[in-house]
Amino acid sequence: MISWMGDSIVSPLGFTSEENYQAAKGQRSAVALHSCEGLAEPYHAAIIDKDALARAFEGRCESPKGLTPLEQAAILSIKLAAEGSGICLDSSKTLFVFSSTKGNIELLDAPAGSYEREKLYLWHTAALIARWFGNPNEPIVVSNACVSGACAQIVAMRMIEAGRYETAVVTGADMASRFVVSGFQSLKALAAGQCRPFDVNRSGLNLGEAAATIIYRKHNGSTESSSQISLLAGSIRNDANHISGPSRTAEGAFLALNDILVHAAKEDIAFVCAHGTATPYNDRMETIALRRAGLDGIPTNSLKGCFGHTLGAAGTLESIISVWALREGIALGTCGFEVEDPDCALPVSANNIAANGSYFLKMLSGFGGSNAALLFSKP
Amino acid sequence: MLSIKQYSYISPKHACSLPPKAKIACAEGVDLLNLYRSLGLDYPKFFKMDVLSKLGILAAELLLAGEERGEAEAMEDRSIACFNRSASLDADIAYAKTIQPQDFYPSPSLFVYTLPSIVTGEIAIRHRLRGETSFYVTREWDAEFVVETVRQIFAVGASRSVVAAWLECEEDRFEAFMMLVGDDGDGLKFSTDIANSLITDLRLH
Amino acid sequence: MEDLILELKSEIIKALNLEEISPNDIGDDDPLFGDGLGLDSIDALELIVLMEKNYGIKLTDPSQGRDIFRSVRIMAEYIQANRTK
Repeated sequence: MISWMGDSIVSPLGFTSEENYQAAKGQRSAVALHSCEGLAEPYHAAIIDKDALARAFEGRCESPKGLTPLEQAAILSIKLAAEGSGICLDSSKTLFVFSSTKGNIELLDAPAGSYEREKLYLWHTAALIARWFGNPNEPIVVSNACVSGACAQIVAMRMIEAGRYETAVVTGADMASRFVVSGFQSLKALAAGQCRPFDVNRSGLNLGEAAATIIYRKHNGSTESSSQISLLAGSIRNDANHISGPSRTAEGAFLALNDILVHAAKEDIAFVCAHGTATPYNDRMETIALRRAGLDGIPTNSLKGCFGHTLGAAGTLESIISVWALREGIALGTCGFEVEDPDCALPVSANNIAANGSYFLKMLSGFGGSNAALLFSKP
Repeated sequence: MLSIKQYSYISPKHACSLPPKAKIACAEGVDLLNLYRSLGLDYPKFFKMDVLSKLGILAAELLLAGEERGEAEAMEDRSIACFNRSASLDADIAYAKTIQPQDFYPSPSLFVYTLPSIVTGEIAIRHRLRGETSFYVTREWDAEFVVETVRQIFAVGASRSVVAAWLECEEDRFEAFMMLVGDDGDGLKFSTDIANSLITDLRLH
Repeated sequence: MEDLILELKSEIIKALNLEEISPNDIGDDDPLFGDGLGLDSIDALELIVLMEKNYGIKLTDPSQGRDIFRSVRIMAEYIQANRTK
């Protein structure tokens, strides 16, 4: 168990958690039609305004010169998350954990020699970010496809519980580069318009860009610790089925849910924040997992309609938004959802609803057959 | 106590599995396709994989082939933790060649390998493992981090064994060092020092 | 048509990395998907790329592939009727 100390999100819907939460609560979507030179077709995605990001970075940090948008977004989110948390980012007892699927991959489009080749390596990006805050430790990089952001929180919890560190700064970040967009286009996985999680007419996902940081501290049993949100448990499980398609029986997702359910009473779970990518297969698979785990009566949502699928940032971003909702006692509506799919018979709602309960579950699934589930609680 | 029950190693110089098992060839001058053939594998999916996944599949074959296991049932208590320096950069560059503006035909089968964790999925599928799978990227081989990460997986309580591997490939270089770690104390002690001395010896060969 | 069928077989083998299969192993009317060649959904997407790259045929809806990729002969007939290069 570890305690939640602070958070921040940089996304097209805002550069703070507050702005992002209010946008999600108002069912606002950042998804819009974009086109890009060097792509055959336009695409719907949630894209950060890079000039606005650079201005915000300059205002809060310093000159963004030499930093990629991904690095700027990550650093900005850490800076804002740490403010007021009382955490020493430069302490040897503070660990940085970085979650990303593709890091600075967009640099492959730049002429060779125009950038330092090491910028292509995820450990370099993570080290640059940790160094920016004067942190002396080697950061941990988790690259576990779309479940990375859950794995990063699990690793932080294990490292803190093992007594290796007092505090962990967990950052997820990814950009919708030409590389990633063309790849998802080639997989025919993108929706033609706004994505519709769990809807009978869903046809694919929207990509999104974000950096989202959570700061965790050791749960020390004090009253201060006990008044905070906790990450209680997390599990990662493989389907052992197919590298790009989910298990038809939701094997991995079901096992992951089962692993963490021993730590919570089902009737006290306020809501489930599903992965809900809005691809036909993913949402059906999650429905099966929830049904098998006996959780298909609990309000379930997906935040992909607001933020798109932010890949390595999805785990931290969606955990943050859900923590804010848990504090307020509401289950957020699912932006883009209209008509229930008989194959996804879950309590999904387009609108926010009151949700009593001390816990919420976060689910994630990704290529490579990996699935993750996290369990959070409020005091 | 955690112990290394078996380990395997593959580099362009040599491939081996230790302690030696009857079925396993110890080869010099390794080419991954030849190694596949000399192991007598019949797994057509292998040819579709990127180098990182091929490397992981072969290292896992060397590591696990001698095990007696029921054919049908999956193992829910075996996890996989892989580590490397370059993530999927090799596959990234191969895919990027298919999206050059003047020759734009994005390849879905190359794109799916542009995530390093795919190799953990390939190993899980091949050996029917439903434990935890994860991939970590480090500046270089870091025995202390590998050992700590694996210990923490055991500490959760859901795993009785962990396949832990350093799997690195970039251009024509490749290296796999894979360990089967168990919790029954049978084998070499699982420690930073021993993991380091094993890989040092294997590299010198 | 026979030339196109033969050409298509080697192109499919190359595009899908069917290392241990030769053109002779693929019957003109054998189902491409299902048990035969062990192809999966990613292979179907890769065939869509092949159609565009080699023959200038754009399939936007992956479900079209299901009909066209039933056998090499059906594929060849479709290509002959629709090719732009």
